[in-house]
Amino acid sequence: MEPASNKAKGPRPGEGHGSRMEELELESVLELARGHDADALAELHRRYVRRVFGLCRYLLGSTETAEDATSEVFLKLQRSIDSYDGSVPFPSWLLRVAGNHCIDALRRKQRERQVIGEAEADPALLEVAGPGPSPLSEVISAEQQAEVRQAIARLPENYRVPLVLRYYSDLSYDSIAQRLGLKRDHVAVLLFRAKRELRRVLARERE
Amino acid sequence: MDCCSELTYAIFVDGELAAEEARQVRNHLAACSRCREFVETLRAENRVLKAVLRELPEEAPGRQGLPWFRRSWVWGDLAAVATVLALGAAVSQWFEEQRVPEVLGWLNPFSSAGGMNLIFSLSYYFGHGGTAVLTRYADIVGWLSLLGLLGSSALLLGRRWRRSRSGLCLLTVLLALSLPSFALERRHSEFVTVAANETVDDSLVAAGNTVRIEGVVKGDLLAFGRTVEVSGTVKGDLLSWAQRTEVRGTVEGHIYTFSQSLDVGGQVGRSIYAWVQSLRVDDKGHVGDGIVVGAADVGLEGDVTRSVTVFAGSADVSGSIGRDLTMTGGNLTLANAARVGGNLTARVHQPKDVHIADGATIGGKRDIQIQVKKIRFAHPKFYFFQAVWLLAAMLVGWLGLVLFPGFFQGTAQAVGAGWRSAGLGLAVLVGAPVAMVVGGATLVGIPVALMLLAFYLAAIYLAKVWVGAFLGKILLKRATATTRDWLLGLLVGLLIITVAGFIPYAGGLIRFGVVCLGLGAFAWQLYHTSRPAATT
Repeated sequence: MEPASNKAKGPRPGEGHGSRMEELELESVLELARGHDADALAELHRRYVRRVFGLCRYLLGSTETAEDATSEVFLKLQRSIDSYDGSVPFPSWLLRVAGNHCIDALRRKQRERQVIGEAEADPALLEVAGPGPSPLSEVISAEQQAEVRQAIARLPENYRVPLVLRYYSDLSYDSIAQRLGLKRDHVAVLLFRAKRELRRVLARERE
Repeated sequence: MDCCSELTYAIFVDGELAAEEARQVRNHLAACSRCREFVETLRAENRVLKAVLRELPEEAPGRQGLPWFRRSWVWGDLAAVATVLALGAAVSQWFEEQRVPEVLGWLNPFSSAGGMNLIFSLSYYFGHGGTAVLTRYADIVGWLSLLGLLGSSALLLGRRWRRSRSGLCLLTVLLALSLPSFALERRHSEFVTVAANETVDDSLVAAGNTVRIEGVVKGDLLAFGRTVEVSGTVKGDLLSWAQRTEVRGTVEGHIYTFSQSLDVGGQVGRSIYAWVQSLRVDDKGHVGDGIVVGAADVGLEGDVTRSVTVFAGSADVSGSIGRDLTMTGGNLTLANAARVGGNLTARVHQPKDVHIADGATIGGKRDIQIQVKKIRFAHPKFYFFQAVWLLAAMLVGWLGLVLFPGFFQGTAQAVGAGWRSAGLGLAVLVGAPVAMVVGGATLVGIPVALMLLAFYLAAIYLAKVWVGAFLGKILLKRATATTRDWLLGLLVGLLIITVAGFIPYAGGLIRFGVVCLGLGAFAWQLYHTSRPAATT
């Protein structure tokens, strides 16, 4: 996406409280925030706190830790907003910062073991595709969606992290591989296994 | 081209397949309806994942601006605990205010007599119970606790240090083999009696309603019961936990006792160490060494060869003490027949609390020290020691954070599990000593039990650090990225715990709750950390 897309990311109708800052386009808010304008930084927090929290919550697995991480990401934003050069849309940049922060936190938490281990041989990877119903593709109701969210939250870290980076942050395999220090192929395998695990869990719950 | 693998299609659907490969897949899909259907399913899955992830899991961070009310359950739990504490304080206050007739004093669990009665009655029923069921139950719980602790330790160590597994297996086998090897004779029934013509060659562990020794025990006697009577001879030491312990015969070693009353009318070869409600050494009693006793009432009519140290509400001496008499407490009376070979030191509240009859003989100095009862809060020393305590806890917290950052922070966070931590902590608090005692009864188990004890005591000490850190965190709600923030939170939390610990009546319960919460969080974190990473 071009930097111009930042302009399209202004506040949504009904979100604002009528203040001047809320009516500004993102680019203007960013400009003010670069000058460490407290209102502008608060506005960025208001606009993106939910998305950052969502990513942290999925990656870190607990509300408490995710809330802490969200606060830390926005503190980091105050210090590093100058480094945002506009080459990628701001939300993507912010989510990348948040993702990196969470991955660092996970690494610190489990210093003695790799966050994501190396891939092992798995015959299922080579299996020829076969049609069949997938409990994951048939999710429609809100309850079913909640079930999937719970299943994602219960996934082991090594499955959950790449899955969230891919389908929440929209990162490419290469970006995920770079952040997690993995080979690209391994990312593909982990995503494949994560979805297989989700299918298995959902199928069992519906039995 | 043949049908591709599921993985290839998954990568294709993610748009991450190399251009040439993607072209081949597209060509194949155009011809293969089966694979086309599969790819459509994968696309639907991706759509669902994106849609599902767009919604936030559980609660949103909308309440971040109000850190004081963020965790409503904390307030709910605090309210519940406060209610229980308030009720407990009110009930205890009410009991304190009641003027219960003296003869019914035992009914009041808050009076010293009632408390002692309650302790010994409960210990009797739990230890003995009048039925074997409770004993069997205690046995089973003890063994299970020990095995559980050993098993989980082995599992934990095995997971952490796979190479040491063989050593652990050997240790486990040795422990298992050594478990039944008790070197004691055990007797358990309603009435345990060693008859006058009977001699027990080993040490004897006796539990019953009444334990009566009329014969000879050549080793030590460990007695648990409502009444323990020694009218025969115990060649070793006597260890008793009983409502009433009575020695009319001879104990050639020491007496260690925790009883409601200890009556000595016979010969004790060495010393008496007693924590009792009342101690009486009658005129036929003789103690070969000295006495150290904490009691409500002490009566010494017999002979004590060496010194006597008494912490008591009241002490009456009409017998003979070979060396010094040191008394701290309420009243001291020396009758005409009393004789103290060395110094008399009495620490009492008023001079009139010491009555020394004219006929009493004191060989050394008389030192009557009047101790003015001071409220501890008015004493600077109190604040000094509290400050030292706080600094020590802060230092330990800092060291823990530096050395084991993840584990320490994780444990502090696990305190937030509330009732889970408290329940688990209570189980560990009670279960670990049982396991240690059972484990320590075997030769190989002793070092393990000692290590466990050290670990257990350290965890009890650290409990307040974890709870303090948790409290500080939720109250300050700082971004806990830096050590400084964490330590500031810890300081605030520890201050709160310290102050709360001195609240009349409720303080003890609060401190107990803190220990339970901290221990439970520690056990949980230990379990959590020991879980291996999921394989990929």
